[in-house]
Amino acid sequence: MLTAVLSIFITLTPPIDTLPPAYAKAFKESMPLEKLASPVSVLLPAELKTEGVVGQARLSALVPSLLIPEYGASLTSTVYLRGIGSRMENPSMGLYVDGIPIMDKNVYDFDWTGIRFAALMRGPQATLYGRNSMSGTLVLQSASPDGETHLNAYAEAGLAKTLRTGATVSFGQHVLTAGFKYSAGWSRNEYKGTLCDPYQGLSLRWKWEQAPSGKTRWSNSLFATLSKEGGFAYGLYEDGILHPVSYNGEGSYRRISLIDGVGFHYSGDSFTLDGTGSLQLLSDDMHMDQDFTPQNVFTLQQAQNSATGTVEVILKSQKEHWQPSAGVFTFYRYNRMHAPVTFGRTGIENLILDNANRNIPEEIGYLTIADDELLIASDFGINTFGAALFHESVFTLGCWRLTAGLRLDYEGGVMAYDCLTNLHYRFIPTMKADKALDVPYHGTVSHSSGLQVLPKLSALFEASGDVSLFGSVSKGYRAGGFNTQIFSDILQSQTMTALMKDLGVYLDNLPTSVGAENTRYKPESAWNFETGVRLVKENFRAEATFYYMNVRNQQLTVFPPGKSTGRMMTNAGASRSLGAEAELDWRPGAFHFHASYAWCDARFVSYNDGNHDYSGNRIPYVPAHTAFASAAWRHSFGTVNLNLSASVRAYGPLCWDETGLLQEPVHIRPEARIALSFSKWELWLRGENLTGRTGRNFYFKSVGREFFSLERPCNILLGISINI
Amino acid sequence: MKTNKLFLALTALALLACNKKEPEVIVPQTADYKGTVTVMYKGEPYDNENIEVNFTPSEDGKTASITIFKIRFVPQMPVTIDVTIPNVQLTSTSTEVLLSCDEVIPLAMGGEYPRYKVTNLTGSIEHGTLDFSLNFGDIPTTFTGRQLLK
Repeated sequence: MLTAVLSIFITLTPPIDTLPPAYAKAFKESMPLEKLASPVSVLLPAELKTEGVVGQARLSALVPSLLIPEYGASLTSTVYLRGIGSRMENPSMGLYVDGIPIMDKNVYDFDWTGIRFAALMRGPQATLYGRNSMSGTLVLQSASPDGETHLNAYAEAGLAKTLRTGATVSFGQHVLTAGFKYSAGWSRNEYKGTLCDPYQGLSLRWKWEQAPSGKTRWSNSLFATLSKEGGFAYGLYEDGILHPVSYNGEGSYRRISLIDGVGFHYSGDSFTLDGTGSLQLLSDDMHMDQDFTPQNVFTLQQAQNSATGTVEVILKSQKEHWQPSAGVFTFYRYNRMHAPVTFGRTGIENLILDNANRNIPEEIGYLTIADDELLIASDFGINTFGAALFHESVFTLGCWRLTAGLRLDYEGGVMAYDCLTNLHYRFIPTMKADKALDVPYHGTVSHSSGLQVLPKLSALFEASGDVSLFGSVSKGYRAGGFNTQIFSDILQSQTMTALMKDLGVYLDNLPTSVGAENTRYKPESAWNFETGVRLVKENFRAEATFYYMNVRNQQLTVFPPGKSTGRMMTNAGASRSLGAEAELDWRPGAFHFHASYAWCDARFVSYNDGNHDYSGNRIPYVPAHTAFASAAWRHSFGTVNLNLSASVRAYGPLCWDETGLLQEPVHIRPEARIALSFSKWELWLRGENLTGRTGRNFYFKSVGREFFSLERPCNILLGISINI
Repeated sequence: MKTNKLFLALTALALLACNKKEPEVIVPQTADYKGTVTVMYKGEPYDNENIEVNFTPSEDGKTASITIFKIRFVPQMPVTIDVTIPNVQLTSTSTEVLLSCDEVIPLAMGGEYPRYKVTNLTGSIEHGTLDFSLNFGDIPTTFTGRQLLK
C-alpha cells in the first residue's frame, strides 16, 4: 500500500537550493532547506499568485496531508495535518510570520496580501519551533525592503461581490502593505432572508529593516488586521436530509489584532546571534446562535482581549563540520474573556425546565422560571506562560548530515473564572410568588504541562549529487489548557443544583456534570518516525516520505451526551497516524507540472469515552487522501505572455465522528486560470471549484442535533495587477 | 447561753432554707440531631437512616420549628425533600422539653405543603435525644435521633 502511493509529489518551486536569502532567513535551521531531513513544501510569489493562495485555507491538498476547511468564521482556523488537528483551542501546526510565532489560533486566518513566501515543514518541529509545532510548522515571510522603490498593486473581483485589493510599496528600508477584502456572502439564512456570511476586512503591514553595519541588522514588523464578518453557515441535518441554514440569532465575528515584532541579528566571526521579541494584541467579539434553529433557544458571545509577549534568542556557530545552535524562548499571555450564554424562552423551557421537571414527580409539583431570558454570565482571566531551552547540532561528515536536538519546554496556566446566573423561579403549587435566585460560581484552576523533553535525531545521506535519503525521529507536543466552552453546561448544572437546594428538593439521579477543576486538558504529544527520499535534478524535483506518528493524549473536541449545550476538549487515550506523502515538480520548457499526494491512516489506538469504545476507528475530520495536480503553459507573443493553468485538488474520504458511521466521500475541486502578462501589468481570469459542487466540510452536534456546513460554490474572479 | 444556742440553730436553719432551690426547667436550645425517620408505608415501616433534623426554638422558648432534611415518604419517591414543621408547642420541665402540635401545615418546596398536613405531633427532647411522632397526611412517621456535637 505504501509503495503504491509513493510517487507523486511536487513543489511548486524552483529547486529549494535557489531559495533567495531574503526568504532563507525566515527559518531557524542551521542548514539549507534542501538539506533538511524532513519534507518541506515551498511556495514563492509566482506560485502564491498562480494558485490563488490568498490565505492558509488555499494550502489544503496543495501541501500533502494538509486540510484547512473554510467554515465558521476567521477565528475557526481548524488545521488538520498528518492526522492531527482540532477545532478548538491550541492548533497542531505552528505558524511563524516574519520570524514571529503567532500564539493565538484566532489570528491564524488572515489575508496574505504582502506575503511573499510560504513554507510548510511537515512533521514535529518542536525542537526549534516549540509548542504546537507538532504536526508541522508554517513559515511565512512578507516582502522585505531592498533599498529600491517598488509598487505592487492588485485588485480581484468575483461572484458574491467578492473583492480583494491591495498594494505594497517598498522604499528605502520600509515596506508598507495594505489589503482589503470584501464579500457579500455565500450562504443564505432562510429564516432571516439575508446572507449570513458577509466579510469585510482590512490588513495593514509595515516592515522596516536596517543594517547599520555588515554585522548587525535590525528589523521591525508590524501587522494589524481589522475585520467584521458573519459566518456560521450551518444547516440542520435530519433524517439524512441537509436543510438550509436557518437560525434567528446573531452570527458575527469582529476582530482587531496587532502584532509587532522586533528582530536583531549579529554576525560574529564564528557565530551569529538572533533575537526576536514580539507583542501580540487581540481584541475580538463573536456572537453565535448556538442552537442554529429559528427557535429562541440559546446564544453565545465570546469576546476576548488578550496580550502576548514573546522573546527568543538563538546563538549559532558555523564550523566546517559542526553547526551547533542553542536558544531560549519564553512567553506570557493574558486573555480576558467574556463569554455569556443567554437562554431564550424556548431554551428555558426545553433545555432547563424540561430537564428539571422530568425528575420531579408530578404529584409533588413542577418548576417554572419567569424570566424571558436567562443569562449565564461567564468571565475568565487566563494567564498562560512558558519557557524553553533548546539546542540543535548538525554534523557534516562526508555525505552525511546528522542532526541531534533537544528542547526542554515548560508551560503552565492559571484561569480565574467568575460566573453568575440569576433567575426568578417558582415551584407550583407550593410557592405563591416568584423568587429571585443568584448562583455565583467563581474560583481559580491551574494546569501545567510539566517539563516536556522534546528530542530529535535525524540523518540525511547524499547518495549522489541529485538524490538524498533522509530519516528522522522526533517528538512534538501541543500545549494543554482550559475548556471554557463547557462552562455553560457547568453553570446550568450548578444553577439547577442551587435551585433545588433552595427549594429543599434533592434528585436521586442528578445529571452528572464536570466542575471547573475538570476543565483542564492535558498536553498532547507525538513521536514521529519518518524516512524519505528526495531527488533534485535541474528542472525536476521529487520527494517521497513515509511516516508513523504515535500520539498520546490526543486532544479531541467532544460533545457531552444528551441535551448539553457545551463542547469540550478531551484527551483521547492514544492514536496513531501512518502515512505516505509525495510531491513532484517538473518544468520542461514552457510547461510546469506539479502534483502532490498524501495517504493518511489515522486511527484511535485506544479511546473509550465511557460509553463506547472507539479503538481502531478513524480519527474524525482527517481525510484519508489529499491530492493536487496542476499543469501550466506559458507562451510569449512578443512583449505579451499568455499563461494558462489548470489544476484539481481533492481530499477525502473522511469520517465525521468517532463512530466512523457518518462519512464524507472524496471532494474534487477543479480550478483554472488564464492570464495575460505585459511588462508591468497582468490581467487574469480564474475560477475556483468549477464544477460548483458543494461538499460538506464541517459537522458538529448541538443540543443533540446534527449540523453540517458546505463548501463554497464556484467562484469566477477577474483580476488585474501592476508592478512598477 | 441557751438563748444563744437557739439563735444559732435558727440562723443555721434559715441559711439552709435560703440555699434550697426550686428545680430549674430546661431552656430549649437550637440544635441539630441525626437519626432515623420511620414512615409507615402500606402498613410496613420504612426507615430513612442518617436523617438530619434541625430544632430551632422561638425567642420566648414556647414554640419551635423542626426541619427534617432529605426525607423520603415512600420508597418510590425519586426525590428527597426538606420539610419544616412550624409552631410546635414546647413545654419545658426540669428533665425534658415536651413537644406537641395538634395540626399544622408544614413548609416544603418554598411554601406551605398541605398534602402532608401534620397532625398529632408529640415528642420530647431529653438528655440529647430527640424523639417525636406525627402523621404527615395519613402517613404515620416517627423520628429518634441524637444531638450532633458542634
